[in-house]
Amino acid sequence: MRPLTLRLVLLRCLTLAGVLVVVVIVALKLGAVQVSLYGLTRDLLQVFLHHASSLSSNYGMIVLDIRLPRILLAIVVGASLAVAGTSFQALLRNPLADPYVLGVSSGAALGAIVALIAEPRLALPASVAALFTPLGAFLGALATIAAVYFLGRREGQIDSGTLLLAGIITASFLSAVIMFLMTTLTGRDLRGTAFWLMGDLSSSLQPSLRWVLGVGFVIASATIYASAADLNLLLSGEKEAMHLGVDVPRVRLVVYVAASVLTGLAVSVSGAIGYVGLLVPHVMRLLFGSDHRILLPTAAFGGAIAVVIADTLARTVVAPAELPVGAMTAMAGAPLFIYLLRRRMA
Amino acid sequence: MPQLRSVADPREPSRAPYLVKLAANAAVLALTFAAVANAQAPQPQTPTADPTPEVVNPRLMFREVVDETGRTVRIAQPVRRIVSLAPNITETLYALGLQDLLAGDTDYCDYPAAAKLKPKVGGAINPSLESIVNLHPDLVLVTKSLNRLETVRSLDHLGIPSYATDPHTVQDIISSMERLAEMLGAQQTGATLGQEMERQLAQIEQRIAPMPTARVLFVVWREPLISVGTGTFIADALRVAGAKSIVDSTQSWPQVNLEEVVRQQPDFLVFAESHPPSSTPESLDVLADLPGWRILTAVQNRRYAIVSDAVDRPSPSIVSAIENLARQLHPEAFEEKPLPAAKPDSPTAPENPAPPASSPSASRLLACAAAKPQDRACAL
Repeated sequence: MRPLTLRLVLLRCLTLAGVLVVVVIVALKLGAVQVSLYGLTRDLLQVFLHHASSLSSNYGMIVLDIRLPRILLAIVVGASLAVAGTSFQALLRNPLADPYVLGVSSGAALGAIVALIAEPRLALPASVAALFTPLGAFLGALATIAAVYFLGRREGQIDSGTLLLAGIITASFLSAVIMFLMTTLTGRDLRGTAFWLMGDLSSSLQPSLRWVLGVGFVIASATIYASAADLNLLLSGEKEAMHLGVDVPRVRLVVYVAASVLTGLAVSVSGAIGYVGLLVPHVMRLLFGSDHRILLPTAAFGGAIAVVIADTLARTVVAPAELPVGAMTAMAGAPLFIYLLRRRMA
Repeated sequence: MPQLRSVADPREPSRAPYLVKLAANAAVLALTFAAVANAQAPQPQTPTADPTPEVVNPRLMFREVVDETGRTVRIAQPVRRIVSLAPNITETLYALGLQDLLAGDTDYCDYPAAAKLKPKVGGAINPSLESIVNLHPDLVLVTKSLNRLETVRSLDHLGIPSYATDPHTVQDIISSMERLAEMLGAQQTGATLGQEMERQLAQIEQRIAPMPTARVLFVVWREPLISVGTGTFIADALRVAGAKSIVDSTQSWPQVNLEEVVRQQPDFLVFAESHPPSSTPESLDVLADLPGWRILTAVQNRRYAIVSDAVDRPSPSIVSAIENLARQLHPEAFEEKPLPAAKPDSPTAPENPAPPASSPSASRLLACAAAKPQDRACAL
């Protein structure tokens, strides 16, 4: 392994950032309404120069008020999922781990559905009601993660195998509860709730929610990155890491909580978008090696690129209708995973 | 526009995840096996078991009819016990005064209120076959857009005839109701009710004829944004109310891109009352701050129309929902003095429901159709 230098990390991140910028520009251009690159640049410049009010064109508004926020959401969600997936794979030392393996998505879906059922009965003020469902999803995700954490302990210590099994069983139990609730809901309600299980980025976020999402992402990612070197040592084994001076239980808890928060935030605004958190870390590991100091940031960029591309396809393939982005990532992700699997075996 | 579901799929085009559907199918399959096993026992439903020998000619005891999905159904005459598996059918039976024939309905059959008291057989998508059998119906009524083909097949295995309605337009709703009435021996009531519905529709049409068509977005669900396709009866109801959906999709419940909506700039956003999160004028205030939505002129001008949930049900009360919507979309059309044929009520005040009368059936229609009168036009 070549010695890791700051220059190397920055170089790779900048390369991926360049790819992301190209992808974002293409994504900004594509959609139900065609825009020219020139018009796009002009509009974006005007916004950066704080002359947004001078924007008169409806098309510029579409791009800036619908397309750009949605692409930014895709970037944050994709980066969160990939970073969370990388963390869980290192934490559980299992290549099949992804952000949803511990039941977070089922917990979030259940929280969202319960919020959807309860909301009309609570007579909340409209401003609170609008945040109620994402809040329900986030709380559902965190409650699930906490429950799995306590179920997955053995003799006061986290045990990877037990944790994984606890997660799978919890997810399956929660899915059963969701199924029960959904069959007792009317068909009309069903259509909206299914969104939490299929993944979708079309929701307009309240501006306040955008801040929560952005700040949460930065804090949680930075927390995980601070433990990147410890995660490398953890990969060689717990005892070995302990002997090398790593406070294993503390690192585990910190990374576990931070990755859970990332997943919870992502799932509460987008539903469960599959395969991103599973595949992107593997691809990045193949490209850049398994040093977490470089794997974590590159995975963040990779996840962002993947979700932006998937969401652009989701909203353009059958335009003016839409597909759930989760369907796009699964259709592309499953064959890619099989390919990586066969390649590794050969 | 790719169809996500097979065309022959009779189920409601729910966006239920595959696993849920799979599990539900498995459950039905299991029930079907149970049903086949049951079929070896003496048929639970022997229409000849009717002790009253009032039918002299045995050839008249059965009748073959073709239902609206093209299935030939052999139905006992007269029909004495009906199980309804769809809220719109339950409501239609009440409107026809045939509630005494209704032996059971689903958990969702909540209108009229008396329908809640009927024995329940579960949901529309997953009814309990055992409960249906236990009610000894000689006819089960289903509707293609809501019930599932598996349910109908299981009923076939049990030897219980089922008749399916499949209305796609407002006219279909009327003719479907009349056919049902004729089959159930209430031909006269059905014809009267049909004429009354036609009369009210003609009146609405006459009033809004000079008005320009309003371009609307019917919001089935907001996040993600789901609307109605061109082939649904809701799209037709919009047309009758003097509106046109901006969504041009062959899917029944297409997910729509918000950009496309902004490009089209609909004149009105139409919500059903119980759309979650509940569609009160206050709850729609959040749209004004929501990115994307706030650049819709309909949102900026608060051009919202909120219609009663009757718009969701292909039953006779659709007429009241259409009128309600037409009043909100074209208030000017209803401002002038009432047309000669119209009832002399004040043009802006909601109609009062007529008291339920035993006869004639036209007043029954009014009791039914004027269910949730409201005049909540938020339009400027």
